[in-house]
Amino acid sequence: MVKINEYIESGVLEAYVLGSASEAETRELLYLKAKHPQVSEALRALETDLEHIAQKMAITPPPGTWTKIEANINEIIKARESDALTIDMPYRDQPRESSRSRKSSQFVEVEAESGHMRIRKIWRWIFAGVFLLGKIFLACAIYFYIENRHNEKEIEILKTELRNSRGK
Amino acid sequence: MLKTDRQVLTQSGPVDVRSLYDKYAGMLLGYVFEIVRDRKLAEECLVHVFCELSAAFGEENSDGPQNWFQLQRFAKGKLQAFTAVAGNGAAAEGIAMHHSNDQHLAALSAEQKRVFHDIYYHGKSVGLLAAELNRTEEFIRKTLKEAFAILRKSGEN
Repeated sequence: MVKINEYIESGVLEAYVLGSASEAETRELLYLKAKHPQVSEALRALETDLEHIAQKMAITPPPGTWTKIEANINEIIKARESDALTIDMPYRDQPRESSRSRKSSQFVEVEAESGHMRIRKIWRWIFAGVFLLGKIFLACAIYFYIENRHNEKEIEILKTELRNSRGK
Repeated sequence: MLKTDRQVLTQSGPVDVRSLYDKYAGMLLGYVFEIVRDRKLAEECLVHVFCELSAAFGEENSDGPQNWFQLQRFAKGKLQAFTAVAGNGAAAEGIAMHHSNDQHLAALSAEQKRVFHDIYYHGKSVGLLAAELNRTEEFIRKTLKEAFAILRKSGEN
């Protein structure tokens, strides 16, 4: 209990409420908040204090600010909707150029992903090995094919000689 | 029935963008003004934050900020790049810089004011501020706590 009070008094809660607590402090605080209602209560009180401080320092926005925000939100919505339409009907006969120029005024061009691939360097050696083995197998196949034909010819000659010697 | 983008952007979540604006726009403008020290720019930032807010409400599995604490954090995140620039200027000019909100922070000592201001408005970490002021982190946290207590008392009076 004393330790929790010490913790609350340490100023960590204030640092958290103002957004300057470290990750480790935040983790610890959230753990303690879930475990000890005093911490949760103290945090709530600090959030209320912070709201009161902000109220004291408030500046009334000039008239028309909401209209500006609303207009910007509507722009975002229009852009999203036109995007959705382009995705839904990609092959319809539409004035593509005009839509592109309209879009270009609303968007910043960002380079899309290219067909370029990234492969680990080890694959270079694997591909070279496979290529070399392929060549060796091909050479072996040709060698054994020629060897086989040569042997067959020799057997044929021997058979002919044997037949001739029997005939005599 | 599926919601349209328009509905999602302006009305999704228990608290919509408009009601957040009605409740907190003045507070947010005051907060942003303390960071940028330029009324026109602060108003532009306010518009920017609320537009970002509408997008946050539109995101899947996200209700967006619901109260001042969350809204202030959201705004701080969106204005972080700006805060960093303004924060560096403030750090260079030191404690003498903190005068615009003197009437609200008058009850604080110069050091308490500096700690509160740099952490709340410029998002400096306790560690960074401790290094800048050549103090321990514990001292900074204690000073922050004292500042909060004083501001709470002055608010009650």
